[in-house]
Amino acid sequence: MSSKRIASLLIALTMLFAATVSIAEAPAGFEADATIGVSLPWLGTQNWMEANDMFKTQLEAAGFKAIVQAADQKVPQQQQQIESMIENGVKVIVVGPIDGTQLGVVLEQAKADGIYVIGYDRMIENTDAVDGVVQYGSIQTGVTQGEALLAGLAAQKGEGPYNIELFGGGPADPNAPNFFIGAMSVLQPKIDDGTLVVVSGQTEFSQCATLDWENNKAQARMDSLLSGFYSDIEIHGVLSPNDGIARAIITASEQAGQEIPVVSGLDAENETITWIWEGRQYSTVAKPTDILVAKTIEIIKSLQEGNGMPETETQIYNGLVDVNVYELPPVAVTRENIEEVFANDPSRMELLK
Amino acid sequence: MKSRKKILGGEIKQYTMVIALVVLIIVFHIATGGRMITSSNMQNLISGNAYVLVLAIGMLMVIVIGQIDLSVGSVAGFVGMVTAISARNFELPWWIAVLIGIAVGLIIGAWQGFWLSKFGIPGFITTLGGQMIFRGAVIWISKSISVPAPKELKIFGAGHLPDFGREFTGMNNSTLILGLLVIGWYIFSQLRKRAKETKLTHESQPVLPLVIRIVLMSIAIGYLTHLFGTGRTGTSFPVPGLILVALVIIYHIVTTRTRFGRHIYAVGGNKSAAALSGVNVQKTYFLTMLNMSFLAALAGIMFIGRSTAAGPSDGTGWELDAIAAVFIGGAAVSGGVGTVMATIVGGLVMAVLNSGLMLLGVGADRTQVIKGLVLLLAVAFDVYNKTQGKKSIVGMIQQNFNRLKKTEKSDNSKLTAR
Repeated sequence: MSSKRIASLLIALTMLFAATVSIAEAPAGFEADATIGVSLPWLGTQNWMEANDMFKTQLEAAGFKAIVQAADQKVPQQQQQIESMIENGVKVIVVGPIDGTQLGVVLEQAKADGIYVIGYDRMIENTDAVDGVVQYGSIQTGVTQGEALLAGLAAQKGEGPYNIELFGGGPADPNAPNFFIGAMSVLQPKIDDGTLVVVSGQTEFSQCATLDWENNKAQARMDSLLSGFYSDIEIHGVLSPNDGIARAIITASEQAGQEIPVVSGLDAENETITWIWEGRQYSTVAKPTDILVAKTIEIIKSLQEGNGMPETETQIYNGLVDVNVYELPPVAVTRENIEEVFANDPSRMELLK
Repeated sequence: MKSRKKILGGEIKQYTMVIALVVLIIVFHIATGGRMITSSNMQNLISGNAYVLVLAIGMLMVIVIGQIDLSVGSVAGFVGMVTAISARNFELPWWIAVLIGIAVGLIIGAWQGFWLSKFGIPGFITTLGGQMIFRGAVIWISKSISVPAPKELKIFGAGHLPDFGREFTGMNNSTLILGLLVIGWYIFSQLRKRAKETKLTHESQPVLPLVIRIVLMSIAIGYLTHLFGTGRTGTSFPVPGLILVALVIIYHIVTTRTRFGRHIYAVGGNKSAAALSGVNVQKTYFLTMLNMSFLAALAGIMFIGRSTAAGPSDGTGWELDAIAAVFIGGAAVSGGVGTVMATIVGGLVMAVLNSGLMLLGVGADRTQVIKGLVLLLAVAFDVYNKTQGKKSIVGMIQQNFNRLKKTEKSDNSKLTAR
């Protein structure tokens, strides 16, 4: 082998080595006062409203500039908002997707511009243009709801068997089927052994789903279930995927002249806190927005400092790639522990009077 | 004044909306600190609104015949879902899935047209029914769960033309070629028009206005070419925009130069008079509704291309966006009045408002309020001008249209003479 050839081989090897090193190197950070974009699905429920305000204040408190927008539950609107954030030169985009499957093209644009994409509260599916997702474990949320329903039935409705009905969330929201799966993992064994009776026989997610999480649609379904199946029997419990739907269910039951059934919930909305305190709704599951927002901002800070995405144990396959998921545990809330859970939340404690 | 008129070819009034649009864009450009007129934002503006504008073209024709179509959003959503499901569940190639989608669109159009033309059920009712039927059908066939769209469709919803030779020209050369073709075509058509006019009037037209017109238009097109061509590598004038432009040209010709086009305006202007003068009103109704659902099908397919998936609530409220574009473009609620070009400008006004307000970080709530006011004011302005005895924009557009019709008539008579 001629010395020339060896030299060129050496050069090639060095270059290869240099390339590997530069790949392994942590991604560069960005300015401490960079702009961060937050795209939320809408402001129609309290948790999104809270997220809207908290992102604004906490991002600014952390020294960033914040663009926080909500898309009124319209997918094209959200796509365009994300594009306008890219135009505005943001470094990170936090997305609470309306439909986790429908943002592929715009998020790929963001990725091409070197922008980090963090999913907030909901999975972002079918694209590799997502760096991580921060959410409360959605299956775990469902499990908590199911357990709370069972506990409530035992506490308030005497001995079984109990008549129950099931409600699911908005099918376009990737979390909704997971809530249902989680809850059914607790309820199905009890249905099989006869402790629970779903009188209408509607136990498939697609039968129980509530399009777009709309309360009036849930109320209409509950009305027809009550008039169709419960004209001469009592309903004991209802699995509800969130608080809005829980209130719709309770209202429908009262109007049908039923005693209020044990109803689960989610989000710990103000109105629900009052209802639980008054004993009208048995339980809800709190996924405190401030913790979720704080976790998201912690990740953004890590990116800003150039440390990349933090380590996490959970990876979820989104249909295309495994996505890093930062899961937080949800909290079941009943009248017994409500004061304890919201001890640090003065605005909610205000309601318990 | 006179010379200005000559430069603009006597069509200055038609440009009122265009001027409003340009002013709006410039105002937003300044307000956003230079973020409005950038290649990427303009590319986004086009590919993010192409599907609504496609719907608006069909809606214009429906509104001109004095009807309305409330089902287009549901039909677009349904066709998108059918396309996605046939590609995924039956593992059909993407183009067969698209053909199936378009066929379904045509069948739906025939269904709506049938109830309107054969049974005389008003379009409002027929399509209100259609809105419910096809919304329900989307949810039914999808089981309320989003279905991924074939990857190849991405090009129709968010695709770009091939990028080559950027190192030589510093821009996307597909866009460059396209821009040069448009300029070439414009010069050619202007020269031909002049030759024709000279032949008709037997007096030579002044050259200077023609030259100024060609230069100004070439600069405008050249600027747009540069704007769209100098985006990130791999981007160009977007493919959905190209589809839109093709459709605009086709439907501009259909509405202004064909028998079917004249029938649409005749039926919308005065149904009985049109019928008495031998226009087949039923057929005109049928074809217009058929065409609307066909365009809704195209819009639905373009949208799932951009969204990479078909969702159960796709298309919700799109009919209202399309209707708003048509009315901002100056169409009359009573029918008989409106043009494709003005509708597109109306749609672009809405799109620019949307984009500009988003760049400014105005929330969806206030954006909605502003868009509502703009719709109201645009139509009120027109109505006010009419009641004041001044020339209304709509009237001017209509006048222009009449002028076109006249020239056509003379064309036609020439043809028959031959």
